[in-house]
Amino acid sequence: MIRFENVVKKFGERTVLNGITFSVDAGEILFILGTSGTGKSVLLKNIVGLLRPTSGRIFIDDEEVTHLSEEEYLSIRKKCGMVFQHPALFDSLTVFENIAFGLRRHYQLDEEEIRRRVARVLGLVNLPDVEERFPAKLSYGMQKRVSLARTVAIDPQILLFDEPTTGLDPVTTNTINNLIRDLSRTLHTTSLVVSHDMHCALAIADKILVLDKGSIVAYGTADEMKRSTQPLVKDFLQEALELAKTH
Amino acid sequence: MRKLIEIIDDIGGGLLFLRDVFRSGARGPWRYDIIAEQIWKVTQQSFSTTALAGFFVGAIMTVQFTMQIKEFGALGYLGGLATSGTIREVGPLLIAFMLSGKVGAFTSAELGTMRVTEQIDAIRCLGANPLREIIFPRFVGIVVSSFFLLAVGLVMSVAGGLLMGLVFSGINPEEYLRHIPTIVSFPSILSGLIKCLAFALVLSSICTYKGYTTTGGAKGVGRSVVNTAVATMVGIVIMDWLTSYLGETVLRMVMGS
Repeated sequence: MIRFENVVKKFGERTVLNGITFSVDAGEILFILGTSGTGKSVLLKNIVGLLRPTSGRIFIDDEEVTHLSEEEYLSIRKKCGMVFQHPALFDSLTVFENIAFGLRRHYQLDEEEIRRRVARVLGLVNLPDVEERFPAKLSYGMQKRVSLARTVAIDPQILLFDEPTTGLDPVTTNTINNLIRDLSRTLHTTSLVVSHDMHCALAIADKILVLDKGSIVAYGTADEMKRSTQPLVKDFLQEALELAKTH
Repeated sequence: MRKLIEIIDDIGGGLLFLRDVFRSGARGPWRYDIIAEQIWKVTQQSFSTTALAGFFVGAIMTVQFTMQIKEFGALGYLGGLATSGTIREVGPLLIAFMLSGKVGAFTSAELGTMRVTEQIDAIRCLGANPLREIIFPRFVGIVVSSFFLLAVGLVMSVAGGLLMGLVFSGINPEEYLRHIPTIVSFPSILSGLIKCLAFALVLSSICTYKGYTTTGGAKGVGRSVVNTAVATMVGIVIMDWLTSYLGETVLRMVMGS
Protein backbone atom coordinates (compact mmCIF):
# COMPACT_ATOMS: atom_id res chain seq x y z
CA MET A 1 0.00 0.00 0.00
CA ILE A 2 2.68 2.48 1.10
CA ARG A 3 6.36 1.73 0.57
CA PHE A 4 9.41 3.84 1.37
CA GLU A 5 12.70 2.83 -0.24
CA ASN A 6 15.80 4.44 1.22
CA VAL A 7 14.16 7.86 1.49
CA VAL A 8 16.41 10.76 2.44
CA LYS A 9 15.12 14.27 3.11
CA LYS A 10 17.49 17.18 3.66
CA PHE A 11 16.80 20.82 4.44
CA GLY A 12 19.98 22.53 3.31
CA GLU A 13 22.82 20.74 5.09
CA ARG A 14 20.52 19.21 7.71
CA THR A 15 19.44 15.61 7.13
CA VAL A 16 15.98 15.05 8.62
CA LEU A 17 15.21 11.61 7.17
CA ASN A 18 18.16 9.32 6.69
CA GLY A 19 17.56 6.27 4.48
CA ILE A 20 14.02 5.38 5.58
CA THR A 21 12.76 2.01 4.32
CA PHE A 22 9.48 0.45 5.44
CA SER A 23 6.10 -0.61 4.09
CA VAL A 24 2.51 -0.57 5.36
CA ASP A 25 -0.11 -2.98 4.09
CA ALA A 26 -3.68 -2.03 3.22
CA GLY A 27 -5.94 -1.69 6.26
CA GLU A 28 -3.09 -1.54 8.79
CA ILE A 29 -2.68 1.06 11.52
CA LEU A 30 0.94 2.15 11.83
CA PHE A 31 2.04 4.37 14.71
CA ILE A 32 5.19 6.43 14.13
CA LEU A 33 6.83 7.35 17.40
CA GLY A 34 9.86 9.43 18.21
CA THR A 35 11.04 12.40 20.20
CA SER A 36 10.43 15.94 18.88
CA GLY A 37 12.37 16.93 15.76
CA THR A 38 13.15 13.40 14.61
CA GLY A 39 11.37 13.79 11.27
CA LYS A 40 7.99 12.14 11.96
CA SER A 41 5.87 14.93 10.44
CA VAL A 42 8.32 15.29 7.56
CA LEU A 43 7.82 11.59 6.81
CA LEU A 44 4.02 12.04 6.60
CA LYS A 45 4.30 15.18 4.47
CA ASN A 46 6.45 13.26 2.00
CA ILE A 47 3.64 10.77 1.49
CA VAL A 48 1.07 13.41 0.64
CA GLY A 49 3.47 15.45 -1.50
CA LEU A 50 3.64 18.52 0.72
CA LEU A 51 7.38 17.84 0.84
CA ARG A 52 9.46 15.90 -1.68
CA PRO A 53 12.30 13.53 -0.81
CA THR A 54 15.86 14.53 -1.61
CA SER A 55 16.54 10.96 -2.73
CA GLY A 56 14.93 7.52 -2.50
CA ARG A 57 11.53 6.37 -3.72
CA ILE A 58 7.99 6.39 -2.36
CA PHE A 59 5.24 4.08 -3.67
CA ILE A 60 1.52 4.29 -3.02
CA ASP A 61 -0.50 1.32 -4.31
CA ASP A 62 2.58 0.25 -6.29
CA GLU A 63 2.63 3.58 -8.13
CA GLU A 64 5.80 5.60 -7.67
CA VAL A 65 4.86 9.10 -6.51
CA THR A 66 8.33 10.50 -5.85
CA HIS A 67 8.53 12.69 -8.93
CA LEU A 68 4.86 13.43 -9.65
CA SER A 69 4.04 17.05 -10.50
CA GLU A 70 1.69 19.10 -8.31
CA GLU A 71 -1.15 18.48 -10.79
CA GLU A 72 -0.44 14.74 -10.95
CA TYR A 73 -0.44 14.57 -7.16
CA LEU A 74 -4.13 15.59 -7.03
CA SER A 75 -5.31 12.02 -7.57
CA ILE A 76 -2.94 10.80 -4.82
CA ARG A 77 -4.33 13.43 -2.42
CA LYS A 78 -7.81 12.13 -3.10
CA LYS A 79 -6.57 8.77 -1.78
CA CYS A 80 -4.61 10.23 1.16
CA GLY A 81 -6.41 12.33 3.73
CA MET A 82 -4.26 14.17 6.23
CA VAL A 83 -5.24 15.40 9.68
CA PHE A 84 -2.81 18.08 10.77
CA GLN A 85 -1.28 18.87 14.13
CA HIS A 86 -3.36 22.06 14.19
CA PRO A 87 -7.05 21.71 13.34
CA ALA A 88 -6.20 23.81 10.22
CA LEU A 89 -9.85 24.75 9.72
CA PHE A 90 -10.59 27.77 7.52
CA ASP A 91 -11.65 30.53 9.92
CA SER A 92 -13.86 32.36 7.45
CA LEU A 93 -15.91 29.26 6.56
CA THR A 94 -18.57 27.49 8.59
CA VAL A 95 -18.08 23.88 9.68
CA PHE A 96 -20.28 22.81 6.77
CA GLU A 97 -18.24 24.79 4.23
CA ASN A 98 -14.98 23.52 5.74
CA ILE A 99 -16.05 19.91 5.23
CA ALA A 100 -17.63 20.59 1.85
CA PHE A 101 -14.39 22.25 0.64
CA GLY A 102 -12.63 19.00 -0.25
CA LEU A 103 -15.81 17.39 -1.58
CA ARG A 104 -16.35 20.25 -4.03
CA ARG A 105 -12.74 20.02 -5.31
CA HIS A 106 -12.39 16.24 -5.53
CA TYR A 107 -15.86 15.25 -6.72
CA GLN A 108 -18.65 16.54 -8.94
CA LEU A 109 -21.51 16.29 -6.45
CA ASP A 110 -24.82 18.06 -6.24
CA GLU A 111 -25.60 20.16 -3.16
CA GLU A 112 -27.96 17.56 -1.74
CA GLU A 113 -25.28 14.86 -1.83
CA ILE A 114 -22.73 17.22 -0.27
CA ARG A 115 -25.17 17.97 2.59
CA ARG A 116 -25.76 14.25 3.09
CA ARG A 117 -22.04 13.46 3.19
CA VAL A 118 -21.24 16.33 5.57
CA ALA A 119 -23.99 15.17 7.95
CA ARG A 120 -22.69 11.59 7.76
CA VAL A 121 -19.07 12.46 8.67
CA LEU A 122 -20.15 14.81 11.44
CA GLY A 123 -22.15 11.88 12.80
CA LEU A 124 -19.04 9.68 12.64
CA VAL A 125 -17.13 12.11 14.88
CA ASN A 126 -20.13 12.62 17.19
CA LEU A 127 -20.65 16.26 16.33
CA PRO A 128 -24.18 16.78 15.11
CA ASP A 129 -25.73 20.29 14.88
CA VAL A 130 -22.51 22.25 14.41
CA GLU A 131 -22.73 22.67 10.64
CA GLU A 132 -23.55 26.37 10.68
CA ARG A 133 -21.07 27.30 13.40
CA PHE A 134 -17.71 28.91 12.71
CA PRO A 135 -14.51 27.18 13.94
CA ALA A 136 -13.78 29.97 16.43
CA LYS A 137 -17.03 29.11 18.22
CA LEU A 138 -15.93 25.51 18.87
CA SER A 139 -13.62 24.14 21.55
CA TYR A 140 -10.16 22.97 20.47
CA GLY A 141 -11.17 19.33 20.83
CA MET A 142 -14.27 19.90 18.68
CA GLN A 143 -12.16 21.65 16.06
CA LYS A 144 -9.88 18.59 15.96
CA ARG A 145 -12.92 16.37 15.38
CA VAL A 146 -14.22 18.64 12.62
CA SER A 147 -10.77 18.47 11.05
CA LEU A 148 -10.96 14.69 11.19
CA ALA A 149 -14.47 14.78 9.65
CA ARG A 150 -13.23 17.04 6.84
CA THR A 151 -10.48 14.56 6.01
CA VAL A 152 -12.74 11.52 6.19
CA ALA A 153 -15.36 13.22 4.00
CA ILE A 154 -13.32 12.76 0.82
CA ASP A 155 -13.32 8.97 1.39
CA PRO A 156 -9.57 8.49 1.48
CA GLN A 157 -8.07 5.02 1.41
CA ILE A 158 -5.15 6.24 3.51
CA LEU A 159 -5.47 8.41 6.62
CA LEU A 160 -2.44 10.32 7.87
CA PHE A 161 -2.60 11.77 11.39
CA ASP A 162 0.05 14.25 12.49
CA GLU A 163 0.04 14.29 16.28
CA PRO A 164 -3.76 14.32 16.45
CA THR A 165 -3.94 14.55 20.24
CA THR A 166 -1.35 17.28 20.87
CA GLY A 167 -2.74 19.99 23.14
CA LEU A 168 -5.79 18.00 24.20
CA ASP A 169 -6.87 16.96 27.69
CA PRO A 170 -6.72 13.21 28.56
CA VAL A 171 -10.46 12.66 28.06
CA THR A 172 -10.52 14.26 24.58
CA THR A 173 -7.24 12.48 23.75
CA ASN A 174 -8.96 9.20 24.52
CA THR A 175 -11.95 10.19 22.38
CA ILE A 176 -9.73 11.06 19.41
CA ASN A 177 -7.69 7.85 19.77
CA ASN A 178 -10.87 5.78 19.83
CA LEU A 179 -12.12 7.66 16.77
CA ILE A 180 -8.90 6.87 14.90
CA ARG A 181 -9.28 3.18 15.72
CA ASP A 182 -13.00 3.07 14.94
CA LEU A 183 -12.75 5.06 11.71
CA SER A 184 -9.87 2.94 10.48
CA ARG A 185 -11.79 -0.25 11.19
CA THR A 186 -15.17 1.03 9.92
CA LEU A 187 -13.88 2.67 6.76
CA HIS A 188 -11.17 0.02 6.16
CA THR A 189 -8.51 2.67 5.70
CA THR A 190 -4.78 2.36 6.09
CA SER A 191 -3.75 4.72 8.87
CA LEU A 192 -0.40 6.28 9.76
CA VAL A 193 -0.39 8.09 13.08
CA VAL A 194 2.46 10.30 14.23
CA SER A 195 2.46 10.34 18.01
CA HIS A 196 4.45 10.44 21.25
CA ASP A 197 1.96 8.14 22.97
CA MET A 198 3.30 4.57 23.25
CA HIS A 199 0.42 3.66 25.58
CA CYS A 200 -2.10 4.40 22.82
CA ALA A 201 0.13 2.85 20.14
CA LEU A 202 0.29 -0.44 22.03
CA ALA A 203 -3.49 -0.47 22.30
CA ILE A 204 -4.40 0.51 18.72
CA ALA A 205 -1.52 -0.06 16.31
CA ASP A 206 -0.96 -3.08 14.13
CA LYS A 207 2.63 -1.99 13.75
CA ILE A 208 4.84 0.58 15.45
CA LEU A 209 7.79 2.39 13.91
CA VAL A 210 10.23 4.32 16.12
CA LEU A 211 12.33 7.10 14.64
CA ASP A 212 15.43 8.62 16.17
CA LYS A 213 17.44 11.39 14.51
CA GLY A 214 15.89 10.62 11.14
CA SER A 215 16.54 6.87 11.18
CA ILE A 216 14.34 3.90 12.03
CA VAL A 217 15.52 2.32 15.29
CA ALA A 218 12.63 -0.12 15.76
CA TYR A 219 9.80 -1.46 13.62
CA GLY A 220 7.35 -4.21 14.46
CA THR A 221 4.14 -5.26 16.18
CA ALA A 222 3.12 -4.18 19.68
CA ASP A 223 4.34 -7.49 21.11
CA GLU A 224 7.70 -7.13 19.37
CA MET A 225 8.02 -3.61 20.80
CA LYS A 226 7.33 -4.86 24.31
CA ARG A 227 10.27 -7.26 23.95
CA SER A 228 12.58 -4.68 22.38
CA THR A 229 15.89 -3.84 24.06
CA GLN A 230 16.38 -0.66 22.07
CA PRO A 231 16.97 2.17 24.63
CA LEU A 232 14.53 4.68 23.09
CA VAL A 233 11.79 2.05 22.80
CA LYS A 234 12.40 1.11 26.44
CA ASP A 235 12.04 4.76 27.43
CA PHE A 236 8.73 4.99 25.58
CA LEU A 237 7.55 1.72 27.19
CA GLN A 238 8.50 2.99 30.64
CA GLU A 239 6.53 6.18 30.01
CA ALA A 240 3.54 4.15 28.78
CA LEU A 241 3.72 2.01 31.91
CA GLU A 242 3.68 5.08 34.15
CA LEU A 243 0.77 6.52 32.18
CA ALA A 244 -1.16 3.28 32.56
CA LYS A 245 -0.58 3.39 36.35
CA THR A 246 -1.96 6.93 36.62
CA HIS A 247 -5.13 5.84 34.81
CA MET B 1 27.98 40.33 1.75
CA ARG B 2 25.77 37.57 3.20
CA LYS B 3 23.01 40.12 3.79
CA LEU B 4 23.23 41.24 0.16
CA ILE B 5 22.94 37.63 -1.04
CA GLU B 6 19.91 37.17 1.22
CA ILE B 7 18.25 40.28 -0.27
CA ILE B 8 18.92 39.10 -3.84
CA ASP B 9 17.64 35.64 -2.90
CA ASP B 10 14.50 37.20 -1.43
CA ILE B 11 13.86 39.29 -4.56
CA GLY B 12 14.39 36.22 -6.76
CA GLY B 13 12.02 34.19 -4.58
CA GLY B 14 9.44 36.96 -4.80
CA LEU B 15 9.65 37.12 -8.60
CA LEU B 16 9.26 33.33 -8.91
CA PHE B 17 6.31 33.51 -6.53
CA LEU B 18 4.68 36.19 -8.69
CA ARG B 19 5.25 34.09 -11.80
CA ASP B 20 3.48 31.14 -10.13
CA VAL B 21 0.63 33.36 -8.93
CA PHE B 22 0.05 34.74 -12.44
CA ARG B 23 0.26 31.25 -13.94
CA SER B 24 -2.33 29.98 -11.48
CA GLY B 25 -4.54 32.97 -12.20
CA ALA B 26 -4.16 32.55 -15.95
CA ARG B 27 -5.26 28.91 -15.77
CA GLY B 28 -8.45 30.01 -14.01
CA PRO B 29 -11.24 29.69 -13.16
CA TRP B 30 -11.17 33.03 -11.33
CA ARG B 31 -12.80 33.14 -7.92
CA TYR B 32 -14.78 36.33 -8.52
CA ASP B 33 -16.59 35.94 -5.20
CA ILE B 34 -13.33 35.99 -3.23
CA ILE B 35 -11.92 38.83 -5.36
CA ALA B 36 -15.05 40.92 -4.73
CA GLU B 37 -14.91 40.06 -1.03
CA GLN B 38 -11.27 41.16 -0.87
CA ILE B 39 -11.96 44.44 -2.67
CA TRP B 40 -14.83 45.17 -0.31
CA LYS B 41 -12.90 44.15 2.81
CA VAL B 42 -9.77 46.17 2.03
CA THR B 43 -11.76 49.22 0.87
CA GLN B 44 -14.05 49.14 3.89
CA GLN B 45 -11.15 48.72 6.32
CA SER B 46 -9.03 51.53 4.93
CA PHE B 47 -11.42 54.01 3.31
CA SER B 48 -11.76 56.44 6.21
CA THR B 49 -8.08 56.45 7.16
CA THR B 50 -6.98 56.87 3.54
CA ALA B 51 -9.44 59.71 2.98
CA LEU B 52 -8.28 61.38 6.19
CA ALA B 53 -4.61 60.94 5.30
CA GLY B 54 -5.24 62.33 1.80
CA PHE B 55 -7.10 65.31 3.25
CA PHE B 56 -4.21 66.22 5.54
CA VAL B 57 -1.54 65.67 2.89
CA GLY B 58 -3.35 68.25 0.75
CA ALA B 59 -3.62 70.57 3.74
CA ILE B 60 0.11 70.24 4.56
CA MET B 61 1.11 70.94 0.96
CA THR B 62 -1.05 74.06 0.88
CA VAL B 63 0.50 75.40 4.08
CA GLN B 64 4.00 74.75 2.75
CA PHE B 65 3.30 76.33 -0.66
CA THR B 66 1.64 79.35 0.97
CA MET B 67 4.80 80.14 2.90
CA GLN B 68 6.93 79.78 -0.24
CA ILE B 69 4.88 81.72 -2.80
CA LYS B 70 3.45 84.43 -0.55
CA GLU B 71 6.76 86.31 -0.83
CA PHE B 72 6.37 86.45 -4.59
CA GLY B 73 2.77 87.63 -4.46
CA ALA B 74 1.64 84.58 -6.38
CA LEU B 75 -0.98 83.25 -3.99
CA GLY B 76 -3.44 83.04 -6.86
CA TYR B 77 -1.49 80.06 -8.13
CA LEU B 78 -1.58 78.29 -4.76
CA GLY B 79 -4.31 75.81 -5.69
CA GLY B 80 -2.63 74.74 -8.92
CA LEU B 81 0.86 74.41 -7.45
CA ALA B 82 -0.19 72.60 -4.26
CA THR B 83 -2.46 70.21 -6.17
CA SER B 84 0.19 69.49 -8.79
CA GLY B 85 2.82 68.67 -6.15
CA THR B 86 0.37 66.52 -4.22
CA ILE B 87 -0.99 64.54 -7.16
CA ARG B 88 2.35 63.97 -8.88
CA GLU B 89 4.47 63.04 -5.92
CA VAL B 90 3.70 63.54 -2.26
CA GLY B 91 0.09 62.31 -2.22
CA PRO B 92 0.56 58.85 -3.74
CA LEU B 93 3.77 58.30 -1.73
CA LEU B 94 2.42 59.19 1.72
CA ILE B 95 -0.93 57.49 1.21
CA ALA B 96 0.83 54.36 -0.09
CA PHE B 97 3.02 54.35 3.05
CA MET B 98 -0.09 54.45 5.15
CA LEU B 99 -1.71 51.64 3.16
CA SER B 100 1.43 49.52 3.47
CA GLY B 101 1.14 49.74 7.24
CA LYS B 102 -2.52 48.83 7.24
CA VAL B 103 -3.36 46.61 4.25
CA GLY B 104 0.13 45.14 3.88
CA ALA B 105 0.56 44.23 7.53
CA PHE B 106 -2.97 42.83 7.79
CA THR B 107 -2.65 40.63 4.70
CA SER B 108 0.80 39.40 5.66
CA ALA B 109 -0.43 38.49 9.16
CA GLU B 110 -3.53 36.77 7.78
CA LEU B 111 -1.60 34.66 5.26
CA GLY B 112 1.22 34.01 7.72
CA THR B 113 -1.24 32.68 10.28
CA MET B 114 -2.80 30.47 7.62
CA ARG B 115 0.66 29.13 6.81
CA VAL B 116 1.81 28.38 10.37
CA THR B 117 -1.52 26.81 11.36
CA GLU B 118 -1.22 24.52 8.31
CA GLN B 119 -4.34 25.86 6.60
CA ILE B 120 -2.39 26.33 3.36
CA ASP B 121 -1.16 22.71 3.52
CA ALA B 122 -4.75 21.64 4.22
CA ILE B 123 -5.92 23.45 1.08
CA ARG B 124 -3.38 21.48 -0.98
CA CYS B 125 -4.40 18.20 0.65
CA LEU B 126 -8.06 18.91 -0.10
CA GLY B 127 -7.34 19.09 -3.80
CA ALA B 128 -7.03 22.83 -4.34
CA ASN B 129 -4.19 25.11 -5.40
CA PRO B 130 -3.62 27.73 -2.66
CA LEU B 131 -2.10 30.16 -5.16
CA ARG B 132 -5.33 30.10 -7.18
CA GLU B 133 -7.69 29.81 -4.20
CA ILE B 134 -6.29 32.37 -1.79
CA ILE B 135 -3.30 34.27 -3.18
CA PHE B 136 -4.47 35.33 -6.65
CA PRO B 137 -7.84 36.68 -5.43
CA ARG B 138 -6.09 38.60 -2.66
CA PHE B 139 -3.47 39.92 -5.07
CA VAL B 140 -6.09 41.23 -7.51
CA GLY B 141 -8.33 42.48 -4.70
CA ILE B 142 -5.54 44.45 -3.04
CA VAL B 143 -4.35 45.98 -6.34
CA VAL B 144 -7.86 47.13 -7.28
CA SER B 145 -8.82 48.43 -3.86
CA SER B 146 -5.44 50.07 -3.16
CA PHE B 147 -5.56 51.85 -6.52
CA PHE B 148 -9.07 53.05 -5.74
CA LEU B 149 -8.11 54.13 -2.21
CA LEU B 150 -5.05 56.01 -3.47
CA ALA B 151 -7.22 57.81 -6.04
CA VAL B 152 -9.76 58.68 -3.31
CA GLY B 153 -6.88 59.95 -1.16
CA LEU B 154 -5.78 62.24 -3.98
CA VAL B 155 -9.29 63.66 -4.45
CA MET B 156 -9.46 64.24 -0.70
CA SER B 157 -6.08 66.00 -0.81
CA VAL B 158 -7.63 68.63 -3.09
CA ALA B 159 -10.42 69.10 -0.53
CA GLY B 160 -7.85 69.43 2.27
CA GLY B 161 -5.87 71.95 0.26
CA LEU B 162 -9.02 73.89 -0.53
CA LEU B 163 -9.97 74.17 3.15
CA MET B 164 -6.47 75.16 4.22
CA GLY B 165 -6.32 77.71 1.38
CA LEU B 166 -9.42 79.33 2.86
CA VAL B 167 -8.47 79.08 6.55
CA PHE B 168 -4.71 79.55 6.47
CA SER B 169 -4.01 81.46 3.25
CA GLY B 170 -7.20 83.49 3.01
CA ILE B 171 -7.98 82.44 -0.57
CA ASN B 172 -11.57 81.76 -1.52
CA PRO B 173 -12.40 78.35 -3.05
CA GLU B 174 -13.13 79.78 -6.50
CA GLU B 175 -9.68 81.39 -6.70
CA TYR B 176 -8.01 78.26 -5.30
CA LEU B 177 -9.61 76.08 -7.96
CA ARG B 178 -9.18 78.53 -10.87
CA HIS B 179 -5.56 77.65 -11.78
CA ILE B 180 -5.75 73.94 -11.09
CA PRO B 181 -6.74 73.04 -14.70
CA THR B 182 -3.95 75.21 -16.16
CA ILE B 183 -1.15 73.92 -13.90
CA VAL B 184 -2.31 70.34 -13.27
CA SER B 185 -1.99 68.99 -16.79
CA PHE B 186 -3.25 65.64 -18.06
CA PRO B 187 0.26 64.10 -17.88
CA SER B 188 0.41 65.15 -14.19
CA ILE B 189 -2.82 63.34 -13.43
CA LEU B 190 -1.72 60.34 -15.48
CA SER B 191 1.63 60.31 -13.68
CA GLY B 192 -0.16 60.30 -10.32
CA LEU B 193 -2.50 57.49 -11.36
CA ILE B 194 0.36 55.40 -12.80
CA LYS B 195 2.19 55.80 -9.51
CA CYS B 196 -0.93 54.74 -7.61
CA LEU B 197 -1.16 51.59 -9.74
CA ALA B 198 2.57 50.86 -9.41
CA PHE B 199 2.47 51.29 -5.63
CA ALA B 200 -0.61 49.07 -5.40
CA LEU B 201 1.25 46.35 -7.34
CA VAL B 202 4.32 46.64 -5.10
CA LEU B 203 2.19 46.52 -1.95
CA SER B 204 0.14 43.54 -3.10
CA SER B 205 3.17 41.56 -4.33
CA ILE B 206 5.22 42.02 -1.18
CA CYS B 207 2.51 41.40 1.41
CA THR B 208 1.19 38.24 -0.29
CA TYR B 209 4.73 36.88 -0.79
CA LYS B 210 5.88 37.60 2.75
CA GLY B 211 2.69 36.17 4.23
CA TYR B 212 2.70 33.04 2.07
CA THR B 213 6.34 32.21 2.86
CA THR B 214 6.05 32.67 6.62
CA THR B 215 7.84 30.09 8.75
CA GLY B 216 8.43 29.67 12.47
CA GLY B 217 5.08 29.82 14.26
CA ALA B 218 3.69 32.94 15.95
CA LYS B 219 7.13 34.55 16.10
CA GLY B 220 7.46 33.99 12.36
CA VAL B 221 4.14 35.76 11.72
CA GLY B 222 5.40 38.78 13.67
CA ARG B 223 8.64 38.73 11.69
CA SER B 224 6.71 38.59 8.40
CA VAL B 225 4.58 41.59 9.35
CA VAL B 226 7.64 43.69 10.22
CA ASN B 227 9.46 42.56 7.06
CA THR B 228 6.38 43.40 4.98
CA ALA B 229 6.19 46.92 6.40
CA VAL B 230 9.88 47.58 5.76
CA ALA B 231 10.00 45.93 2.32
CA THR B 232 6.87 47.68 1.02
CA MET B 233 8.13 51.10 2.09
CA VAL B 234 11.51 50.52 0.45
CA GLY B 235 9.78 49.02 -2.61
CA ILE B 236 7.40 51.97 -2.89
CA VAL B 237 10.25 54.53 -2.70
CA ILE B 238 12.21 52.63 -5.38
CA MET B 239 9.09 52.38 -7.54
CA ASP B 240 8.49 56.11 -7.04
CA TRP B 241 11.96 56.86 -8.34
CA LEU B 242 11.51 54.44 -11.25
CA THR B 243 8.12 55.78 -12.34
CA SER B 244 9.33 59.40 -11.99
CA TYR B 245 12.47 58.66 -14.01
CA LEU B 246 10.68 56.68 -16.72
CA GLY B 247 7.77 59.13 -16.77
CA GLU B 248 10.01 62.13 -17.33
CA THR B 249 12.03 60.25 -19.98
CA VAL B 250 8.88 59.26 -21.87
CA LEU B 251 7.47 62.77 -21.55
CA ARG B 252 10.66 64.27 -22.99
CA MET B 253 10.54 61.86 -25.89
CA VAL B 254 6.89 62.70 -26.59
CA MET B 255 7.50 66.42 -26.31
CA GLY B 256 10.59 66.04 -28.53
CA SER B 257 13.02 67.88 -26.24
